[in-house]
Amino acid sequence: MKENISIKENSQEPGSRILLELKGVAKSFETTDVLKGLDLKIERNTFVTLLGPSGCGKSTTLRLIAGFEKPDAGNIFFEGKDITGLPPEQREVNTVFQNYALFTHMTVAENIAFGLKIKKYPREYISDRVDYALSLVNLEGYGDRNPGTLSGGQQQRIAIARAIVNEPKILLLDEPLGALDLKLRKSMQIELMKLKEELGITFVYVTHDQEEALTMSDQIVVMNHGMIEQIGSAEDIYNEPKNAYVARFIGEANLKTGRMSSPSVVSIEGVDFPCTDEGFLSGTPVDVMIRPEDVELVDPLAGQICGVVSDIIFKGIFYHITVKTDEYEWKACSTMPTPVGTKVGIHVDPFNIRNMIQGAKEI
Amino acid sequence: MKKTKNSLKKLYIALIFIFLYAPIAVLFVLSVNDSRSRAVWGGFTLKWYRELFADATIMTALKNTLIIAFVAAFFATVLGLLAAIGISAMKKNKAAVYLGAGNIPLINADIVTGITLMLFFSRFSSLGMMSILLSHITFCIPYVLLSVLPALSGIDWHLYEAARDLGATRSMAYRKVIWPELFPSVMGGFFIALTMSMDDFVVTYFTRGAGVDTLSTMIYGELKRGIKPQMFALSSVIFAVVLILLLLVYLLPSDGKIGRPRITEGLSDAVRSVVPFILVVSVVTTLTGCGSIQNPRYGADPEEEATVSDAGSNTITVLNYGEYLDRDLLEDFYDKTGIRVLYDEATTPEEMYTKYKSGAISYDLICTSEYIIKKLMDENELLQIDTGSMENYGNLDPAILAMAQTYDPDNNYSIPYFYGTVGLLYNSSEITGEVDSWDVLFDGSYSGEIIMQNSIRDAYMCALKYLGYSLNDTDREHMLEAQRLLLKQKPDVEAYFVDEVREEMVAGNATIAVCYSGEAYLANEYNEDLTYVVPKEGSNLWIDSWCMTKRCQNPENATAFLDYLCGEEAGMVNFEYVYYPTPNLAVYNALDEEIREDELVFPPQEVLKNCEVYETLPDDVMELYSEMWKELKVY
Ligand SMILES: Nc1ncnc2c1ncn2[C@@H]1O[C@H](COP(=O)(O)OP(=O)(O)O)[C@@H](O)[C@H]1O
Ligand SMILES: [Mg+2]
Repeated sequence: MKENISIKENSQEPGSRILLELKGVAKSFETTDVLKGLDLKIERNTFVTLLGPSGCGKSTTLRLIAGFEKPDAGNIFFEGKDITGLPPEQREVNTVFQNYALFTHMTVAENIAFGLKIKKYPREYISDRVDYALSLVNLEGYGDRNPGTLSGGQQQRIAIARAIVNEPKILLLDEPLGALDLKLRKSMQIELMKLKEELGITFVYVTHDQEEALTMSDQIVVMNHGMIEQIGSAEDIYNEPKNAYVARFIGEANLKTGRMSSPSVVSIEGVDFPCTDEGFLSGTPVDVMIRPEDVELVDPLAGQICGVVSDIIFKGIFYHITVKTDEYEWKACSTMPTPVGTKVGIHVDPFNIRNMIQGAKEI
Repeated sequence: MKKTKNSLKKLYIALIFIFLYAPIAVLFVLSVNDSRSRAVWGGFTLKWYRELFADATIMTALKNTLIIAFVAAFFATVLGLLAAIGISAMKKNKAAVYLGAGNIPLINADIVTGITLMLFFSRFSSLGMMSILLSHITFCIPYVLLSVLPALSGIDWHLYEAARDLGATRSMAYRKVIWPELFPSVMGGFFIALTMSMDDFVVTYFTRGAGVDTLSTMIYGELKRGIKPQMFALSSVIFAVVLILLLLVYLLPSDGKIGRPRITEGLSDAVRSVVPFILVVSVVTTLTGCGSIQNPRYGADPEEEATVSDAGSNTITVLNYGEYLDRDLLEDFYDKTGIRVLYDEATTPEEMYTKYKSGAISYDLICTSEYIIKKLMDENELLQIDTGSMENYGNLDPAILAMAQTYDPDNNYSIPYFYGTVGLLYNSSEITGEVDSWDVLFDGSYSGEIIMQNSIRDAYMCALKYLGYSLNDTDREHMLEAQRLLLKQKPDVEAYFVDEVREEMVAGNATIAVCYSGEAYLANEYNEDLTYVVPKEGSNLWIDSWCMTKRCQNPENATAFLDYLCGEEAGMVNFEYVYYPTPNLAVYNALDEEIREDELVFPPQEVLKNCEVYETLPDDVMELYSEMWKELKVY
């Protein structure tokens, strides 16, 4: 039975992988420019995360896609058609609100059936779909309950069920796990990823939590002050941040300023480090990023640069160790404890050095 | 320690409940009491409930009350909701201004609202059912506003977006999501408006037109002659209904399914099924009610429409004391003459004077006390009555007409209607020996057992008469002598009362009371030991008479009504209704010997001769009276 009514990806339009496109979308509220000409392409069946600090315009972007706001400039295309002026009820997207926005005067089942009833589906069909949606979010048998009697996590699932039962081509989720505790959040993350696989639709997910973004996304859109800093897979963004802003926002990083001594050597604190990044001319000032786990602590004599351990914190498997050199502090990860005051050498493999254009904005 | 604290708590709560509910319990007990007196338990009966529904006056007032309440609540809810939506969309400062303005009827004293509205309506339209209705809508709107506004500003607009997101159009989203969120508070506002409207007296009193009564104004009109037991029955019914309405309001805001124990779920479902019913009732009464909002007229054909103000047509507007005329006569009069009577009631002569002078309603005829008639005469407010054209004028007792010359020297400005004496009502089982003099009030032998009249002239009259002076004596020394006597007597007085005299005596709370003869007759009906006497020193004779105001547009019609009242047939009906001494000799002669001889009903000739009618006193004398009265009541 389940198979018959399962939600399948709509594949009648194989022409393009691009499902949704924002072109030069700008939006301002009163005097503040919230979005400053956003260009973004979202592919079918991907998990896209909009990541950025609070206030950078993520929700606004989502609301533009949903149709709750109209852009001041630019266009939004859905399957190649311009939907910029289309009201929300005519868009094939559904939203999961951060505060769930469940209808408290309706039961759980009535909440989920809301969209289907409006589309005037037969009653039998609706009740099957509601049951199926409830099973997708593991809440079979909760249909007669009132949303007010459910826990936060359960309400969240109802909100998701209410959205996906309409078979949207895109599911928009605005910090859906923000109100949940850590443990629940972790398990919901996994459930959401599974759900996406099961439904085979596109998720556009908003969060300010980089870890969440890294865990769940096929594609991460790093935003800052109403602009996109970088778009890429989790690995891309982690390993090859475009600039210091992205580097700092995603994961732990040692950020230093340096200068290219030659096309494959960068000088930090006057010490030359061989690297593999090319494309910068000799003498160009660059931002250099090295992940702490790539900073090897070695014998002082064997290191490229020497320093003294100034701090050590045990973080479970790793020790976070801070090493003071003449100009900088270096963060390193090590399985070996090294007492404060120990003189150590630092070694970085060339392929672990990431040189970036200078001048990216601060977070 | 803890135990006493607990029992104290319980005691406290018990006291509060007693305090709150004892009056209602009393009301209920009175409503099943088979006696017209509040002081006597006559056994259990439901007859007042039966009579209640057969009483056309009460039912009309009830109908008016309900129509006004439902229609006013309906419109107030609609307007209040719209206002709330408007205000919630405004910026904070602006909203505060509008909300403040909207709440003025709430903050304003009712009396100010009432008078303002009365002035407005009597200036720009006429007073009637419509003016009450509009006034009620006015003062109900703030209640709706206060109920709806918090709900409106508390609405989570994400719900609206969620609905749109799920495919609802703009209007669908409002209907299916926002409206259900607002609905409980809108219903709450509706019910508050409903009860406020049903409850209102002051505003209704000022804005009603002649002959239009709601329950509250009708009860007020009855105060002078005592509240009918049917009203206790009605009040009990209303209490029950209001209790149910309040329960609805209380139960509505939260949905039955939210965190509510299962037991109440059924109840709550019942409530929800009742609400649509009430809405339907409201809409239906609104629709039909609007049609029937016209001024009731006795004998009015439904098709015929006439406004209150055009009194020049075949309508006369009449003001009388409550329960002082059998209303069936009004219909009979219409059948006989084709003249409609717009009948209005008031409680005190002062109130009648104010009502007439305010000009809000143009009364043609007023039945009132002699000193008000004199006052109106002196102010040139009255028309001469063409008594020569009245067929039945000859029925009037020449002796009473002669007494009436005190205030109407030529008997051409007033027609006596009922009269009576002031005397002593005493409990013969507690008094040995004969009571025939005012001295029982002053000789100190009934200390703490005396009830005096709480009105200046009646109080001083006893003392003046006892001292051997005229009750119209203006000699300063005589008045001060009376004052000294009353001051000396004061410690012996249990209370100064007006309306409560009869009930207090029936209840046996006092032995002797200064009392009106009409009250004495009723008191004796309930308690045979109560006897009435007009002291041998003499007393006051009061005469309530009809007068015709100079606003009267059609004196012939008004005179026809007076003539009708003077007839034997109507006179008899009225006498049997009011049971006060009638100056109508045709009626008197047709009565049984037994009644004619009953001194509790008709004062004997020698008593009448011994009595004086109050004259209107010069201003300086009245001033002295009120000075003395103040002194007497304060010390
Ligand atoms: N309706 C609005 N009116 C005015 N300012 C708004 C409105 N919505 C968002 N903003 C402003 O736009 C900026 C971006 O908001 P938002 O898109 O919600 O950021 P994010 O979701 O990334 O935290 C914020 O500074 C916010 O104050
Ligand atoms: Mg946001």
